[in-house]
Amino acid sequence: MTFDLGFAASLLPVIARSLGTTLAVTVASCIGSALLGFVLEIARRTGRPMRFSMRLVIDFIRSTPVLVQLYFLYYVLPIYGVRLPALVVGVAALSTYYSGYLAEVFKAGIDGIPGGQFEAARSLGLSRPTILLRVIAPQMLHNVAAPTGTYFISVFKSTPYLAVIAVPEAFGSALDVASDTFRYAEPMVVVGALFLAIAVAFSSLLHRLERRLARAGQR
Amino acid sequence: MSFLQILHGILEGFRVTALVTLLGMLYAVPFAFVAGVTQHCSKGWLRAATTAVIEFWRSTPVIILLYAFYYMLPGFGIRLPGLVVASLVLGLNIGGYGSQAVRAALQTLDRGQEEAGRALGLRPWQVLLKVELPQALVAMMPTFVNQFIQLVKGTALVSLITLDDMTFKAKEIAQLTYDPVSVYSGLLVAYFILCYPATIVGRWLEKLVGAGQRPVHDV
Repeated sequence: MTFDLGFAASLLPVIARSLGTTLAVTVASCIGSALLGFVLEIARRTGRPMRFSMRLVIDFIRSTPVLVQLYFLYYVLPIYGVRLPALVVGVAALSTYYSGYLAEVFKAGIDGIPGGQFEAARSLGLSRPTILLRVIAPQMLHNVAAPTGTYFISVFKSTPYLAVIAVPEAFGSALDVASDTFRYAEPMVVVGALFLAIAVAFSSLLHRLERRLARAGQR
Repeated sequence: MSFLQILHGILEGFRVTALVTLLGMLYAVPFAFVAGVTQHCSKGWLRAATTAVIEFWRSTPVIILLYAFYYMLPGFGIRLPGLVVASLVLGLNIGGYGSQAVRAALQTLDRGQEEAGRALGLRPWQVLLKVELPQALVAMMPTFVNQFIQLVKGTALVSLITLDDMTFKAKEIAQLTYDPVSVYSGLLVAYFILCYPATIVGRWLEKLVGAGQRPVHDV
């Protein structure tokens, strides 16, 4: 078997078209995992019983494979009458999986805020939601931007998992070509190169952001 | 089938899960050290080449790498058992992440360590092996444990190339019993039992290595 460059070039537009779905899944899952991760982390900080139960939830999410979480949601939800499009199930699975990691990132981010900030906010008589959203969240954001970005890139790299539940994202369309033509080399190389190029581009952007944040922190 | 019977059936795939993990570690650890040390110590084209190899393995989605190598190698006349291909791909992917822990740990060492070693008349490789790496090893342990967990969870992917690991067995049982709730809950529990001890060790190591504890503020 040889590598047919012409065939590979003809696949580029086909696979690139489904990149739209990949990027939509990525953006939705990043937002979902950040929101859920923040909720998990704040819940972990509301008293002793919650500290232990939420820690167990977060550890459970982090100790099981995303592929299995995906299967679980895809096959179990319909049993309880929850019928969702595969794309939504996929976004839910990626959001859940990465929320466990982002909760840990947010934990470190909140722990990095000087203790005086909490005391000052409380002694000013601010309400809990106000403290959370106006005092803690903005300062946390500065601390967590870089590691959160790393996990967002991981979210992007995990979107091909959705091919196993037939979401028409980029890797799925490459697999379709492969099973139609019985040629694996060209579609796999094209889709792999696309993902690699985008992931590397995102990481170098993130590096630039990290350096700017570090400089801002020194001032 | 009762839940315990299902769990028992799933654990029949434990052998393959464990085997892929162990073989994967055999690729991951040497690759992490060689690539990380080379990236840290070299300059010019060697450094660029090492970075390119690392980026290839860690920035391409692992599921695409697995399919690409599994289906493309025979086309180039290389026939390897699925188990070997899977542990190679998963191992080098994890090793790519591990190499960054090695490099980061070497970079954060005080420069005085290297200078003192050189001043004592040690050769550069002796400084690396006897002065720098032993100290860096402590700093990289938490990341290594976390990457080990990623590898265990990553082995779920081998079910897609028809190796009969725990996930593969679970899918088989799900088809026989049509009880996805028990089967996929059981599968989640099985991975949790495998990974949770490592998660705890990882967190403990992080605390041990991390500088001074900060108080946890409830909000």
